[in-house]
Amino acid sequence: MENNLPAYLRQSEGGQQEGRHAKRGQLSFLNKSIVNAAVTMKSIYLQAENSGRQNFFQRIHPGVKLLSLIYFEIVISFVHRPIAQMLITSFIFLLFLAAGLSLFLVYRRILFLVFIFGFLIIWPASLNMITPGKIIFNLICFSKPSQFWIYHIPQCIGFTAEGLQVVWLLFLRVLNSVSFAMLVVFTTSFPAFVKSFKIIGLPDTFLMIITLGYKYIFILSRTIEEAFFALKSRLIGNIRNNTIRKLMGGLIFNIFKKSMTNYENTWYAMVSRGYQGKIILHSPKQVDSTDLFAFIVIVAFGIGILFM
Amino acid sequence: MDEIISLKHVNYSYFGKIPALSDINLSIKKGEMFCIIGQNGSGKSTLLHILNGLIFPDSGETLFNGTPVTEKSMRDTNFGSQFRQKIGYIFQNPDVQLFCPTVFDELLFAPLQLNLPLETARERAEQTLLFLDIGYLKERPVYLLSGGEKKKVAIASILTMNPEVLLVDEPLANLDPKTQTFFTGLLLELNRAGKTIIFTTHHLDLVDHLQPRVAVLSEEHTLRKTGTASGILNDEEFLISMNLIHEHVHKHGEEVHKHYHSHYVFHKH
Repeated sequence: MENNLPAYLRQSEGGQQEGRHAKRGQLSFLNKSIVNAAVTMKSIYLQAENSGRQNFFQRIHPGVKLLSLIYFEIVISFVHRPIAQMLITSFIFLLFLAAGLSLFLVYRRILFLVFIFGFLIIWPASLNMITPGKIIFNLICFSKPSQFWIYHIPQCIGFTAEGLQVVWLLFLRVLNSVSFAMLVVFTTSFPAFVKSFKIIGLPDTFLMIITLGYKYIFILSRTIEEAFFALKSRLIGNIRNNTIRKLMGGLIFNIFKKSMTNYENTWYAMVSRGYQGKIILHSPKQVDSTDLFAFIVIVAFGIGILFM
Repeated sequence: MDEIISLKHVNYSYFGKIPALSDINLSIKKGEMFCIIGQNGSGKSTLLHILNGLIFPDSGETLFNGTPVTEKSMRDTNFGSQFRQKIGYIFQNPDVQLFCPTVFDELLFAPLQLNLPLETARERAEQTLLFLDIGYLKERPVYLLSGGEKKKVAIASILTMNPEVLLVDEPLANLDPKTQTFFTGLLLELNRAGKTIIFTTHHLDLVDHLQPRVAVLSEEHTLRKTGTASGILNDEEFLISMNLIHEHVHKHGEEVHKHYHSHYVFHKH
């Protein structure tokens, strides 16, 4: 057979490019951030989707869970005693057990979020500079008090009992709010959760937009990951940073154009199936006695906590 | 057979600059199996978009059951709804076609938009799930489906409209052989049930299987020939000129040779 291959393709590249392969880590920071973002997004969504076990909390009507979530957030914000907040923590923990979820997996995520939003940001409130009171643990003492901008810096800085109580209370509030939200998220599939918003009167069109947005994030994360790997597999040797910026810019633009084309076709698909400006979705399952029982228990617990 | 769709001197271009269809004349009969073939970029998908009233020709006329399909007539709620109910369109890429939260919602979408009672819509959806053997996917979100499953759901989402005409863009694209066989059988079954099937493809083996009437679009976006499947498939010279069959190189033992080939229809040594 006649071979029309260009001459260079009949030769091996081995040895000609020696030394250029030595460094191939230019995209490491992007690699880590993009791939991790994609993997995290996928795992979060997949986990939520796969929370279809038929345990007690999973079987509750998504709308009831949504109302319970709103109710619980209100209760948590009104409770000012740490002991009452700790009781709520225990109650949520019991609900997690009833839902049969992996406590390690769930609490690892919860504690990560709570550490940032419920401790790291608010711990300075335990110092006497912010919450005055009796110092129970001294950190540092200066020769005299001073003034910095609008802040008064006392002679001794330390943790106060009142400050620690405030931080503890805020920590528990964040912990309880995040935990209950996670409980609902981990025990409800996303489509069911979105549909539950019908209960509070959100229009179907709005729910469809949320669903499309959610689907888009999922598809986008996969597309970005694949496009990035395709780019990475063709990068050899040292690449200058501005070249990387150009490549990434091109990649982002391509993904954006692809999204536009996809959504134009999705629009056509909707029109083709009878969409005339108003979306009608079917409602989720009806609320039954189990749902009502669960809601009554949650409401009763909340009232009990508020008046204890 | 009565004429259900006809195109008269249809021209279409993208942005008024890039021609997609040039002077297309077509007449499709009720209950017919009709195929549009042509190489990539010849305007097959654009033609389906026009047949479905999603885009409208720059000039020329599209008629459905004798009524012109125009932007104005589609704004008429009665005609618009009837037209949408009677013509179902299965897109090439199911990812763009599936946009509802779950598979069951997908199946209910069209009947509900077309104001069918919820009970009827549910009944249809359940029957279609059973018919296509995808009952286990009922509550699954669409983005967690495999390629073959997505295609089946896309078909199901159209079947629940019970359309008279089914437009299918590249039915076998990105499907494994088993799903291809299933899909081919389904098209035949639907056609036997009286549905008009209009599909595009460049798989000549599918044309051979389904034996539709065939229209061939050229690289210049014109309609080059219309005829029976056997008439078109046996005209090897014409297919070569239309780039629908190609010279194929492969090995027999140690011998490498080439011949004209389109999968198995034209596998002559």
